[in-house]
Amino acid sequence: MVTLIIGGSGSGKSAYAEEYICKKAGKNSKYYIATMKATDKESKDRIEKHRNMRKDKCFITIERPVNIGGLAREDLADSSYALLECMSNLVANEMFLDSEPKPAATVVEQIVKDIKALASKLDSLVIVSNNIFEDGIEYDHYSMEYIRALGLINQKLSDMAEEVIEVVVGLPVKIK
Amino acid sequence: MELVIGGRAQGKLEYAKKNMANQNYKVLDGQDVDFSKDYGEESLILNHFHLFIRKRIKEGGNPEKEIKDFISKHKNLIIISDEIGNGIVPIDSFERDYRERTGRLLIELAKEADKVTRVFCGIGQVIK
Repeated sequence: MVTLIIGGSGSGKSAYAEEYICKKAGKNSKYYIATMKATDKESKDRIEKHRNMRKDKCFITIERPVNIGGLAREDLADSSYALLECMSNLVANEMFLDSEPKPAATVVEQIVKDIKALASKLDSLVIVSNNIFEDGIEYDHYSMEYIRALGLINQKLSDMAEEVIEVVVGLPVKIK
Repeated sequence: MELVIGGRAQGKLEYAKKNMANQNYKVLDGQDVDFSKDYGEESLILNHFHLFIRKRIKEGGNPEKEIKDFISKHKNLIIISDEIGNGIVPIDSFERDYRERTGRLLIELAKEADKVTRVFCGIGQVIK
């Protein structure tokens, strides 16, 4: 089953998602599929902060900035629980992988296919995503394409999810 | 009148269409809607209402009054607007004014509305 956990920046969605999957997996180990690329000091610090946050929670970390559909059953042999953190990085990585950014429709199709493939290999896949849709600012073309892609992916994920939870000031609000 | 709000790319129009009682309706776009036209008794969805407000402020119009007049002629109107207020305060004074007036007008419309739905990730939450 798929669970979608979504919130704004600094909403506490990551901490909540970790807690959520720990409860679900009980004593079982679980995967942490990390999608952030460590490219500069800021991203490295962020990755370190998140590693520290979860260090006592028995996660097996898989760093996977793109192509999550390519994770084979052998890669997921130790647990059937996974937390994917987070969709907003994955969409950016897939969209801006090549010198020419991919259109939103292509990215949406690819990622939805990848998520379905990944979810089919697990009992429980928890996906963290970001609410970046409410500031009303008109950005450049590529940023708007990115916003559109993430928005459409969130819609499709929420459709396939058994549970959708919005995290607001650290508190879960059940959407579905 | 009904109000459907939510962030960009959340599936608001699809949600509104799916939930229309009467499948015979016309979708107007806030970017180029002309309120002086006669739509008769047709069921109407007014999409991108925030862009109507933006355009009318730029043109020196009175979007607050114009939409109220339009609603009085079309009592079953469904208005769809982006939520645009959850970001940092814009530096540009026009953008600040646009954001503030949109927020204030949506509050008034929400008060008058028979139903207000927030669409998030394609899912509607009825908040009034």
